[in-house]
Amino acid sequence: MTSVALTAVAIGLPWSAAVLLALIRSPLRAIAFASALVSMIAIALMLWTSPSSQSLQEGLMLLYACVACGATLVLPRRDCTARTLSGILWLLGSTLLAYSTDHLGVLVVAWISSAIPFLFDQWLGAHNWRPRLALLVSTAVLATAIVLIVHERHTLSIETLSRQRPGGMAVFALLVAAVVFRKGICPVHAWVGDAAEGGSVIPTALLLNGHFGAMLVVRLIVPLFPDTARTMFPVLSYLALATALYVAIRAVAENSPRRLIAYLALSQSACILAGLESRSAAGVTGALVHWCVVTISTVGLFAILRLLEVRFGDNLTSSAHLGLARHAPRLAVHFIVLGLALVGLPGTLSFCSQDLLIHGTLISHPLIGLLLPAATAINAITIFRLFTRLFLGKRKTGFTIMADALPRERWMLSACVVFVVAGGVFPSAIVTRWAVQTESIEQTVAGGLMTR
Amino acid sequence: MVFAQAMLVFVVLASGLVFVTFALAWLLGWVPSERVISSITGLTFSASILALAIVLWYLRSTSAVTATFGNWFAVGDYRFPMFFFADRLSAVFLGMTVVLVGLIGRFSATYLHREPGFFRFFLLLHLFAFGSLVAFAAGSFDLLVGGWEIVGITSVLLIAFFQHRTPPVENAVRVFGVYRACDIGLLAGVFAMHHWAGTASFDQGFPHLSGGRAATICLLLLWAAAGKGAQVPFSGWLPRAMEGPTPSSAIFYGAISIHAGAYLLLRLQPMLAQSPFAGAIVVVLGLATAIYGTICGRATADAKTSLAFASLAQVGVVFMEIGLGLKWIAVIHILGHATVRTLQFLRSPSMLHDYHQMHSAIGGEASQAEIDLEKLLPVSIQLWLYRWALDRGHLDTILDRFVVHPLMKLSGVFAKLDGIGWKRSSVTRESPVSAVYAKVRERAG
Repeated sequence: MTSVALTAVAIGLPWSAAVLLALIRSPLRAIAFASALVSMIAIALMLWTSPSSQSLQEGLMLLYACVACGATLVLPRRDCTARTLSGILWLLGSTLLAYSTDHLGVLVVAWISSAIPFLFDQWLGAHNWRPRLALLVSTAVLATAIVLIVHERHTLSIETLSRQRPGGMAVFALLVAAVVFRKGICPVHAWVGDAAEGGSVIPTALLLNGHFGAMLVVRLIVPLFPDTARTMFPVLSYLALATALYVAIRAVAENSPRRLIAYLALSQSACILAGLESRSAAGVTGALVHWCVVTISTVGLFAILRLLEVRFGDNLTSSAHLGLARHAPRLAVHFIVLGLALVGLPGTLSFCSQDLLIHGTLISHPLIGLLLPAATAINAITIFRLFTRLFLGKRKTGFTIMADALPRERWMLSACVVFVVAGGVFPSAIVTRWAVQTESIEQTVAGGLMTR
Repeated sequence: MVFAQAMLVFVVLASGLVFVTFALAWLLGWVPSERVISSITGLTFSASILALAIVLWYLRSTSAVTATFGNWFAVGDYRFPMFFFADRLSAVFLGMTVVLVGLIGRFSATYLHREPGFFRFFLLLHLFAFGSLVAFAAGSFDLLVGGWEIVGITSVLLIAFFQHRTPPVENAVRVFGVYRACDIGLLAGVFAMHHWAGTASFDQGFPHLSGGRAATICLLLLWAAAGKGAQVPFSGWLPRAMEGPTPSSAIFYGAISIHAGAYLLLRLQPMLAQSPFAGAIVVVLGLATAIYGTICGRATADAKTSLAFASLAQVGVVFMEIGLGLKWIAVIHILGHATVRTLQFLRSPSMLHDYHQMHSAIGGEASQAEIDLEKLLPVSIQLWLYRWALDRGHLDTILDRFVVHPLMKLSGVFAKLDGIGWKRSSVTRESPVSAVYAKVRERAG
């Protein structure tokens, strides 16, 4: 099977299944899981056949497919509706399309497509305007940038446009604006919390972990504007570091667990942007490894939170101790491991990624770079505080005794834990595989030639 | 030599493997019985002591035993070397860890019998032993950071051991906060070491650095060491940490964890020698802590907290010794202090019983041999000192007023800024449209 056919299967099947789910009533979860699984296998085959020096996008696609597949499995029965499952599959197809394409037109279609389920509150959208506005603005800005590129260069191939600076500073600024809006960089970060609090939790986690902003930097901004990126990227880096710290401080007094985890995810994913810009191999590699960690950990954390909500009520709060560990010890253990894995727990992959990120960022910005360990330290305190509030303390008597993690939930969450722990014990398996591509990103940003 | 290397690796990894095995067993739904847990713990630490004895035997003829595993990961010119390194300094701390943790394991098997968290305690004890052994056997500061963080995590999880009570849980968060704040110094210090010295490994010694650079690295690492060793101004967390079970208090705050900061400084000694300024700061910090611990300890009513302040005073003296360059005196002091303090902590729950026994043995009250020096001071100063000591030097108040409250306030301001243009309350997860849509689907079904 050729790579094109495998890509078609990986993207087409989730989309087809999403349409199918809208038409039939059962078995919804089985169909969704099967299609995500087949998509995952197709990408794994692509990764297997691709040369290791060009496996970055396949690796990220596989990661996303695994997470989406896990999401279909861990979704509580209450949420296991056609609209949620079809939304997850639709998002999976769109994200994979965006990761795999070299065509600007397809990229913008995938970008819009990934946002569609979250624009309508009948589907997966939050019941407030800020997430919708942010997604719409980022889409409009990206589309405008691409129209300007086509108008000037009459081509839509990213490879052809490489190092051409199409559209000049205006297009560069528009692309950066698209990153800022889509990723939730300060000062337009508030939509991320709104989306998590008002929308469907697990699909929102998948939306945030598509990391379209970082993807746009790696796939489009760096290859097309290497010279501009060299001079202007520090601004984006400072913004990302400021976002990481601002959002970390913002989360300190937050009592809504959904919003709090969303801020932690945002703070940590802002570190990815800072690492990509760090102009050092360590920083870029750290950013890419951290991409994996943030994706796995935050989807796991959101999933656990949703599982707690369906068991103990939607109004969980971190303003008081709930003592849920007595009822759900396994969920508690998975929560603390994934939570601390997000902020650099030794023995997990994030220890490696944080080490590289801090090293890379401090090399390029010795003073501003200190914001990164400061933000991570605050995030660690916040996640530990959330853990103690949700799981420790005096047990609430009003709760009905509910089951701890069910087998399908347990296996999915254990897979997340195994990934972050195994990755932490053997980080070289990931680091060395992407070495060539991280080097090319680093050289481009630092002043060398783009060698993709 | 290969045999010695294998033994060193065994010493470090044994408790980690037990932790992983117990954790996997629990995840698969099997909780071992108390007898199995205590037997495995006893076997592990007995074997570790034996293995370490072999390493020590080899150290008679060589300066260090090194077990190298190459680079854990390497990117560009940045390397994370993975090797265990046991010289005479490491050996003292490794020995102290395996012997005392083994003893604590044996003691806890009885002390925590039928306690609901018995399994959890031993799980964390093994993780702690693993973290400590990694930190003490690390051949580089990079690896030391890993062990250091594990010790911190297990420490706070054991402070929150009695999880059904709110104060231990809240105190655990506080301690975790101090640890993480001080870890920034460790991370920045290790980065500076890589950047300026070109290496963070200490098996070959450190290159000579300029006074400013050496002082910067030393002060950053001193920040971390002061946090872990509860030195002034970070001392406020130590009394709070006494909420954990007595055996964990003994091993963490009487023996191993409290001396981890001193170990870091001992490893840093060659660089401290390059910077007299940093050395002087270490001495001043140690002296301040020793005075602080002594005064506060005299106004403390409960046994464990008194012992915690006594520990603090001794660790302060150890810091002074390190700052003055008296390396081996500091090591001997640590060894003696850790052993005696562990015993005192373990006996603290039965302190009254011990006193009664002693009194009945000597046939009356023991005469008061100590001199109350504070009585030489004017009464007004005595009262001021008493109040100062009762509030533990106002350290927590200062931390609250100048760090915690401003941070919370800033977070509140950010929350208000985020809320501009959007009313947050009354978030309904099901919109009317969705509800109607769901009903229609339900009826259709």
